[in-house]
Amino acid sequence: MLRATLKGMASRKARLVLTSLAVVLGTMFVAAAMILTATMEKSVSGVIADAFTGVDAVVTAAEDPAAAQGNTPSATLIPADVLETVRGVDGVESADGDVSGQVNAIGDDGKLVGTFAPTIGFNWNEQSTGFNEIREGRGPEADDEVIVSTLFVTESGLDIGDTVTAYSYTADRADYEIVGVFGLSGDRDSLAGETQMGFTTTTAQHLLAQGENAYMTIYVEGDASTDAIADAIGSDYRVQTGEEASEEAAQGFAAVADIMGYIFLGFGLVAVFVSVFLIINTFTIIVAQRQRELALLRAIGAGRNQVVGSVLAEAAVIGVIASILGLGLGVLLGWGLSQLVSSSVMGGLAVRLEVPPTALWALAVGIGVTVLSAIVPAVKASGVPPVAAMREAVNPPKPLRGITIAGLAVTAVGGVLVALGLTDNLGDLGLSGFLSGVGIAFVGITLLTPILSRPLVAFLGAVMSWSFSGRLGKLNAGRNPRRTAITASALMIAVALVTGIATLVSSFKQTTEELTDSNLESDLIVMGQQGANIPTFAPETLAEIKALPDVAAVGDLYGEFFGAQVDGESTPLFASEDLPTSLDIFSGTVAEGSVDDLADDGLVVNESAAEDRGVALGDTVPVTFADGTTVQLTVAAILDDALLTDGWWVAPAQIEHFTVPKPMQAYIQVADGADVDAVQEEVDTILADEPEVDVTNNAQFVEQQTAQLDTLLASVQILLALAIIIAIIGVVNTLVLSVLERTRELGLLRAIGMTRGQARRMITVESVIICLFGAVLGIAVGIGLGWTVQQALEEEGLTSFALPWSYIVGYLVAAVVVGLLAAIAPAARAAKLNVLNAIAYE
Amino acid sequence: MPLANPPAPQITRTRSAVTASNVWRAYGSGEAQVVALRDVSVQFASGAFTAIMGPSGSGKSTLMHCLAGLDTTDRGTVHIGDTALTGLGDKALTKLRRDKIGFIFQQFNLLPTLTAEENILLPASIAGVKADPEWVARIIATLDLSERLTHKPTELSGGQQQRVACARALATRPEVVFADEPTGNLDTRSSGEVLRFLRRSVDDFGQTIVMVTHDPGAAAYADRVVFLADGQIVEDLHRPTADSVIDTMRGFENRVPLAGEAR
Repeated sequence: MLRATLKGMASRKARLVLTSLAVVLGTMFVAAAMILTATMEKSVSGVIADAFTGVDAVVTAAEDPAAAQGNTPSATLIPADVLETVRGVDGVESADGDVSGQVNAIGDDGKLVGTFAPTIGFNWNEQSTGFNEIREGRGPEADDEVIVSTLFVTESGLDIGDTVTAYSYTADRADYEIVGVFGLSGDRDSLAGETQMGFTTTTAQHLLAQGENAYMTIYVEGDASTDAIADAIGSDYRVQTGEEASEEAAQGFAAVADIMGYIFLGFGLVAVFVSVFLIINTFTIIVAQRQRELALLRAIGAGRNQVVGSVLAEAAVIGVIASILGLGLGVLLGWGLSQLVSSSVMGGLAVRLEVPPTALWALAVGIGVTVLSAIVPAVKASGVPPVAAMREAVNPPKPLRGITIAGLAVTAVGGVLVALGLTDNLGDLGLSGFLSGVGIAFVGITLLTPILSRPLVAFLGAVMSWSFSGRLGKLNAGRNPRRTAITASALMIAVALVTGIATLVSSFKQTTEELTDSNLESDLIVMGQQGANIPTFAPETLAEIKALPDVAAVGDLYGEFFGAQVDGESTPLFASEDLPTSLDIFSGTVAEGSVDDLADDGLVVNESAAEDRGVALGDTVPVTFADGTTVQLTVAAILDDALLTDGWWVAPAQIEHFTVPKPMQAYIQVADGADVDAVQEEVDTILADEPEVDVTNNAQFVEQQTAQLDTLLASVQILLALAIIIAIIGVVNTLVLSVLERTRELGLLRAIGMTRGQARRMITVESVIICLFGAVLGIAVGIGLGWTVQQALEEEGLTSFALPWSYIVGYLVAAVVVGLLAAIAPAARAAKLNVLNAIAYE
Repeated sequence: MPLANPPAPQITRTRSAVTASNVWRAYGSGEAQVVALRDVSVQFASGAFTAIMGPSGSGKSTLMHCLAGLDTTDRGTVHIGDTALTGLGDKALTKLRRDKIGFIFQQFNLLPTLTAEENILLPASIAGVKADPEWVARIIATLDLSERLTHKPTELSGGQQQRVACARALATRPEVVFADEPTGNLDTRSSGEVLRFLRRSVDDFGQTIVMVTHDPGAAAYADRVVFLADGQIVEDLHRPTADSVIDTMRGFENRVPLAGEAR
């Protein structure tokens, strides 16, 4: 029996290739995702381990390890005398204090160096030179000298001999001479995209440690035990071995690779899901075609189980070969992707390929999916009666009632899960409930596609029935609703996913636009791109803008995000030089009290925040700032809840206690009749010396806010491209088999005068209709999905629903293109048929 | 191919719808070569019903395929009316089949997606022209298909399907209709209906019909029976009856015992 199966398979090579391709692609993406994650983890931990080479112990301040990394100006510091104590511990050969944190440097173009990745400043010392290699020049010797990383040179446009202006949250601008350029060992120019500046210890402490003689970390060499060091310096400090510290640092970096891994795993699972349809379809057709052969096997004594076994054996062989191939290609893809991730976001990190044992799961997924998908067709095959061998195979179309009822039920279950997942009824399981609901709903809708195919195919076909061959193509497409439906499903799922995401993004865009229109009463906005730090500008600049003749009003915003506390609880604080005007511009309204002439100890808060803390008008509340000052403030006004003005506002007099006592944003109202563009130019001139911020008009502002979403949307289209490949395979498969099945019909048509061109057109129309059907269905489902999510997020602020028209049109065009491409080979085959053989074809 | 080419006999082309002159056709090569037609010359008069008979492998189907432009000849020429088929490309042959030839097959070969009426109008639809409605109505009435026009082929009996195929073959008023074993899959009653219609279309409409058949009873409906054996015309019987056909076959089987199963 197995031999008969294998021989049968060998005689249908082309079909095997088509079926296998789907499995190969699915397995490949799943494997690549796992390899990418493992490889990036290994590469990152390798690099970090390199960085910690020779470091035997690491000392940090005990509290708040996140702050100790120096990302905030309030990082807890280790005084210099602790370093001396460590140096005195028995077995310590050397110990170096490290000061590092984020600094701002102004590049060649007058703007900040680096946008999303920060510029890190640190004290250049012997320790630095172990991992950092000087490429040119030398390290800083004077306090106004600096050595910069190679990536800094690339990004800033500055080089050795140039002067660079740098400052930090707590230190004003000063000029430094670039005296050297360094790279990282292994010929890299960055660890994770950051740019670096190495100063003398004194300068680094001035910039990052408020000028105190203190450090953030102490690196120790020597065989002193961590316990010995800890005993010497006391419990205010944390002592780790070099290895422990290395692992901790690696974890943070690996998160990026993990996210990429999840995205590709998602792609892989979608590919596998789509492949299932393709495999079911192919095996169903194979079984239908082999009906006579199977009946003959039954007639000569093969049992039902043997027939099932024969089909499943075929599936298993395909599954094994395709999965192994997929795994192999997945290793290559995973390696390639790791290189890509490394060079694009990891600053050229050296990739160390790692194939984790979990990658073998991809193999299991590939084989399992193939065999499971083949079960239904296999059982169907065993139902072929022996007598079918003796007579003309007649396959009357089966009624669609059962499958439709099942489809409705499954879709309903999926819908309920989606609804539950989105409405917090499942608690922590909300996301998995939502995702599995989407998956189940897809299966349900797929079961409904046959019944939907009748009206939809008739409608789509009507558009293309202008020629007779087009009409025949339309009739053929509607001939086997199940087959048409399952073929279109692959495309449907992919298009549904991308349409759903596109719908959400366009809804979000519209919401942002509407918010800006209805809540923001300004014409121009001064603000910076939110990157690694919060961009600010000088208060003097704000005054200059306010003084412009054509400026009617300016709403300004100061913010304190680090470590301020209201009544003992960590809370961001806001302030405005002119709160009444700012409230007007942000469409904020006062519910109780007054914001006019706000006293220095005045506090303003919105209704619901006040309620949360149990604060009422006239109450006195203790507020502590990051600099340690605590003041008693009195609630002077309660604001109505409003999107842009919610939060705690303090009087301008308190701004001096803010970590960054500078305005973050200014919203400018242009005087009636004045030219907005002209004012924008004037403001732009004033901002020439402000590296962190730009002036934009409202339209540019919305564009900036949504620019990242566009990038996200574009990358999601990759998913569509992948599914399109699988969809093409599916359509080609179906068409080739249809042409084979209808050989006699084609022969007749050619005999009575159909030209080759007409035959080609007929097949092409069938193909395009199938694809359009899938796309239309996918767009409908995607819009439904997007709408459901938008409804669920309405309370979170996603108030508008907008259709992504350009994408929808794009998907329809793509569907037509896919249809045309998929039809090429089958149509050529149909046109080339030998008329005589075709008529006599059994 | 080592085939002789003797001089063509004098053939008058007047009033002949289909003419074959010195047609040779062989399949395969070397040892496996089978010569299906050996120097066949025959003409089919316009407005006549001719049957082609012969044992399996005698070449009768090959002859019909060559005459109908479905198969090419190795040597010799075929004319439909005044058009020479020899040397025509696929496009021209397709157009010729579409405009000048009607087909009836043993397996009916109707398109399952189309209704009976759409099947009847199929050749006209492919050509993108409108069939003469009066003519089509007359055929449909003659074939008693008026009640079945909206039915799909699966809803029709074998006899009804073959009658639809007959209507399709005649709908474009072709110069000649080729029928390949048209009654091979039908019961006696349906066979009679189809054959009587073919006869009537010759008598009443002046249609030219060439029919390949095994059945002496069917051949008896024809004006003339051409007998083939081993790729050659061996007998030409005018005004046949079933008996005379059977007698001829018998005599000829005695002369050529056991014609091979080769094509």
